[in-house]
Amino acid sequence: MTKRRQVVFTLVRGAVAILIALLVATVLIFVSADGAGFSEKLAATGEALRQMLAGPLFRLSKTGASFDLKRLTDIFAAMIPIIFTGLSVCIMFSANQFNLGAEGGIMLGAFVTAMIAIYVPMAAGLHPVAAVLIGSLSVAVMMLLPALLKTRLGVSEMVCSLMLNYIVMYLIKFLLNTYLADKTKGQIQSYEFLKTSLIAPMIDTGAKLSWGFLVALAAVVLCGLFMYRTRWGYAIRMIGINQAFSRYSGMKVSLVIVMSQVVGGFLAGMGGGIEMLGRYNTFSWSSLPGYGWTGITIAILAGNNCYAVPLAAFFMAYLSKGCDLMATYAKVPSQLIDIIQGVIFLFFAAEQFLSHYRQKLVVKSAQEELARKKLENADKKEGGAANA
Amino acid sequence: MLNFLKLLLTPEFFFSILRISAPILFATLGAIIVEKAGFCNIGLEGIMMFSALAGSMVSYYTGSWLLGLLGALLMGTLLGFVMGFFAFQLKTDITLVGIAVNMMGSGGTLFLCKVITNLTEGKAMASTTGLITSGLCIPNITIPLISKIPFLGGVLSGHSLLTYLAFLICGLTSVILYKTSLGLNIRAVGENPNAASSVGVSVLKIKYVAIMYSGLMAGFGGAFMSMSYAQGWSQDMVAGRGFIALAAQAMGSGECLGGMLSSLVFGFAQALGIKFSAIGLDSNLASPIPYAVTIIGLVIFALSRRSRDKKQRLTAKK
Amino acid sequence: MPEGKAAAADEEYVVQMKGITKVYPNGVAANQKVDFCLRKGEIHALMGENGAGKSTLMKMLFGLEQPTEGEIMIRGEKVSLSSPSVAIAHGIGMVHQHFMLVPSLTVAENMVLGMAPRKSGLFLDHAKAVEITKQYAEKYNLHVEPEAKVMDIPVGMKQKVEILKALVRGAQILILDEPTAVLTTQETAELFKELIHLKEQGYTIVFISHKLNEIMQITDRLTIMRGGRSMGVYNTCDVTMEEISRLMVGRDVVLNVQKDKAVPTDTVLRVRGLEYVNEWNKKMLDRVSFDVRKGEILGVAGVEGNGQKELVDALFHFNTPSAGTAAVNGVSILGLSQQRIRELGVSLVPEDRMLFGIAGAASIEENVLSDRSADKRFNRGPLFNMKAIHAESDRLIEEYAVLCKSRRQHVSMLSGGNIQKVVVAREFSNDPVLILADQPTRGIDVGATEFIRKKLVELSRSGIAVLLVSADLNEVMELSDSLIVMHNGKIAAYFEDTAALTDDVMGEYMLGLKEQSADEIGRVCHD
Repeated sequence: MTKRRQVVFTLVRGAVAILIALLVATVLIFVSADGAGFSEKLAATGEALRQMLAGPLFRLSKTGASFDLKRLTDIFAAMIPIIFTGLSVCIMFSANQFNLGAEGGIMLGAFVTAMIAIYVPMAAGLHPVAAVLIGSLSVAVMMLLPALLKTRLGVSEMVCSLMLNYIVMYLIKFLLNTYLADKTKGQIQSYEFLKTSLIAPMIDTGAKLSWGFLVALAAVVLCGLFMYRTRWGYAIRMIGINQAFSRYSGMKVSLVIVMSQVVGGFLAGMGGGIEMLGRYNTFSWSSLPGYGWTGITIAILAGNNCYAVPLAAFFMAYLSKGCDLMATYAKVPSQLIDIIQGVIFLFFAAEQFLSHYRQKLVVKSAQEELARKKLENADKKEGGAANA
Repeated sequence: MLNFLKLLLTPEFFFSILRISAPILFATLGAIIVEKAGFCNIGLEGIMMFSALAGSMVSYYTGSWLLGLLGALLMGTLLGFVMGFFAFQLKTDITLVGIAVNMMGSGGTLFLCKVITNLTEGKAMASTTGLITSGLCIPNITIPLISKIPFLGGVLSGHSLLTYLAFLICGLTSVILYKTSLGLNIRAVGENPNAASSVGVSVLKIKYVAIMYSGLMAGFGGAFMSMSYAQGWSQDMVAGRGFIALAAQAMGSGECLGGMLSSLVFGFAQALGIKFSAIGLDSNLASPIPYAVTIIGLVIFALSRRSRDKKQRLTAKK
Repeated sequence: MPEGKAAAADEEYVVQMKGITKVYPNGVAANQKVDFCLRKGEIHALMGENGAGKSTLMKMLFGLEQPTEGEIMIRGEKVSLSSPSVAIAHGIGMVHQHFMLVPSLTVAENMVLGMAPRKSGLFLDHAKAVEITKQYAEKYNLHVEPEAKVMDIPVGMKQKVEILKALVRGAQILILDEPTAVLTTQETAELFKELIHLKEQGYTIVFISHKLNEIMQITDRLTIMRGGRSMGVYNTCDVTMEEISRLMVGRDVVLNVQKDKAVPTDTVLRVRGLEYVNEWNKKMLDRVSFDVRKGEILGVAGVEGNGQKELVDALFHFNTPSAGTAAVNGVSILGLSQQRIRELGVSLVPEDRMLFGIAGAASIEENVLSDRSADKRFNRGPLFNMKAIHAESDRLIEEYAVLCKSRRQHVSMLSGGNIQKVVVAREFSNDPVLILADQPTRGIDVGATEFIRKKLVELSRSGIAVLLVSADLNEVMELSDSLIVMHNGKIAAYFEDTAALTDDVMGEYMLGLKEQSADEIGRVCHD
């Protein structure tokens, strides 16, 4: 099948997966919509869908829609943590490691960064950089556990990382509750970050879009370079495709597997750190934030390709915002996003999904190839006869 | 220290071990069955979440705990079937299907709860705790003679119906696996699908049966959480038990007895944690204990298997 | 040559396969107009080297494949064996080379799998299963332990279970695919006793094998296949082993490879006393010693399954030998990591190219880079030097004439021959001192085959040592300068100059009819 056809097929498949998810969402919205009768509910559903699909970028009113810059920056700001977790999962999944620890990783990174931001005073330019770096490193170290247990003992990195998520969450909660909470405040939160540590907002739209967004985009480029332009990223990908081949070719398989999870951890931690200092004044996360799971969806949507992560992140942030708006205006619970995510995920990752369609394309390509060859041969014959 | 030990050696403590282990045991049985059939179901967590909600909801709206239980079981089995469809027919990697189910589980259950009960969000998360009365929960059973036995009576009697069922079904699962032709087929498909299909066993059908059974087990586990362990459903109440079950299956060498013992170990860890917080230790320090024990357990298991393999290889050479 | 006096009247035949041709979609003709007939109550040997077409023929008799042309008749009735179930219904049973058993189940459970007896509805009637097993075991004199787990019983018993499985499903005609490949001498003797017992009870047995002495022992008639065709049917008592050998091993067309005479110099690979015992406790390598020198191609000939695969695996650390040494330019390579082995200058063209040789979902460029990704030539600091990598890939694609759309094309999209060319492009181009080539041209087109063989000679003459393992007689006889023949894990012969070697002589050593003296074999060690 030609490259172009392959791209078209992938796009069509993705679009159908999204449509099915939206269909499921519509049904659920309908069920949950306000209204006594069928037509009322239908109207409510329509309104909700309008909010979900157009709301994230446009301020909707009775008369029409107007583009709202703040909403766009809201989406960009929401993209920051999930770009990092998306990159993290892309790298780990590329090595065929089902490490699901990005969830705990981002929380740990955020926490460590917050601690540096509160208790270790530093010069203004240095403070956020150092805090985020140390936060990232701490998560990189955390990922050594599932990685080494996998390569040395064959312990499932999936179960190990899942357990770590819970352990990290509870330990952070413990530390926060017991030692670090600002007792003067109503909810559980840490003391305030020192002013020198905060990451400044990029645009003043009230959306709290910090410069961290540019860092995230830079991370995308760096990760892309890492995966496609360095020998380590190359090794990660080859090992993910065929581990036996990689070992036979002389690659250090165990080392690279550990590396993939350590780098993934570093990225997740960085996401947490940047999110903390770019958007918050104190650390108040009392449970796992959920960015890790979104990161997995993004990795699936992006096909493990780092460069496609921002696009997938935009899509997920858009949908998420849409669901939030639906909750505010149409009384549809915002958790709908989890269901939509799951459905997209399921169909996107299904290899046999629309396989008949793909089969048709393959056959069509083969037939065209054959016809082309026949024409070439006919031309040659003619040419020969003409020359005779 | 001695006081603390005194706190442990009470019938209440052992009672709580059994009570806490039961839902883990159910999920573990689900993990065991699919492993025997040759694959892994990491979506047990999500299935438990949905089943917990279903059980609570159905019992509230029908006024009967029995129907609620059946609702949970139906939900679990159905989800197992859907997972099987995506994994076996649409060829989505079964790990990814499991992740998707878990993803939908957390927020999806909250969504459904809000939608169905119309409890709106405020600062408090929606849950059915306010709705469920004790009459809608699964009843506890006092065994007539045993309850009179000193110490043991307090340990063994008065448990929820499902607690007893958990251990009973553990034995039942073992019987199914080793004493019925279905179990024979499951084990054959898991170990050598070619051999099975060469004698006419439908590998696809067996895998469906296995995954639906695991869904049924998770259904029991979920029902236990919302209708016995706690009174009503609340978000994230399953708290990783579906994942602990995977570890329990591995630590128990994939057998029902081993799985049961492993579940009890985790139950013990969690009960211990609760006791810690009872004597003043922050519950957040006690809560990670079962998860940490899981990792330690997996490491010990891997080490022991490694040394056993080494010994086997040495003796084989002779 | 005694022609088949073995043909007889039609009514006597329980199976008749007439004019069977099998052509696969990729164009390979596995069987060409083959006739094969079985008399009731005989033990009939189907002989031939690997690739001769005997397995394919029997697969069609068992319904695993369908013939492109020809017809099959069972007891005089024309049948279409569309699946194994249909074949089983006609009373045909097959005992595969790789057992279809479930290791953790007992013998009795394996016996009744798929047709399990039940009691009170749901429960497996264990006692009945054991009873059935014992019944059949006694009736056919195939001693098995019904309650033992299959993983605990010896290989010989596993095979008996497979035979019983076929019998309990009503087989009257048994096809045994290389049954003695995994058995010890004693187990083989036992098996033969049982087969004769079965024959006396009226069962018909097809015995696929290439072990001459066994065939002579118990078979009534034999059919020899070579290159997809039948070379004739013979009464076993009417032929000698030499005659069989000449029919089995031989080339219809002799390939003539142009090459200068080899001038071998120093020893590169030095193997002494190599031994290997496999997981079924069978000794696959038995005191193997040889040298491979700079500038020569040493071939390893032999019927597959006599230790060649284990030899290559040992040299590239795919298995761990139980004794012996192997050194490249004086440095021991046994037990080293595959990375270290490569660093010492060893390249391997693997037998299983799809599993080890390539990463199918990666591009051609990524595949030829795999053993040199850390090379200074291709890295500038932390980043790849993409220009250098592109140049290298393009150069290799051109030099090895890989037919592709671009270096970015996924390797799995290429034809078999081009895939192999990608493998050799990588393995030959990193300045190796020793090339291990394991079945390098198996299953690929003529053009690619010629190219790879030419390349091997070219590299050898430039001073590289080549160990060529090949089941293709032409390849191993014409391409090698010298060769060793392996039989039963030992070196049976060493021929310093392959030029004067004939097919007949090769056959005798390959099939174990002859064995050189220790002195003669010892000449392959050049110290």
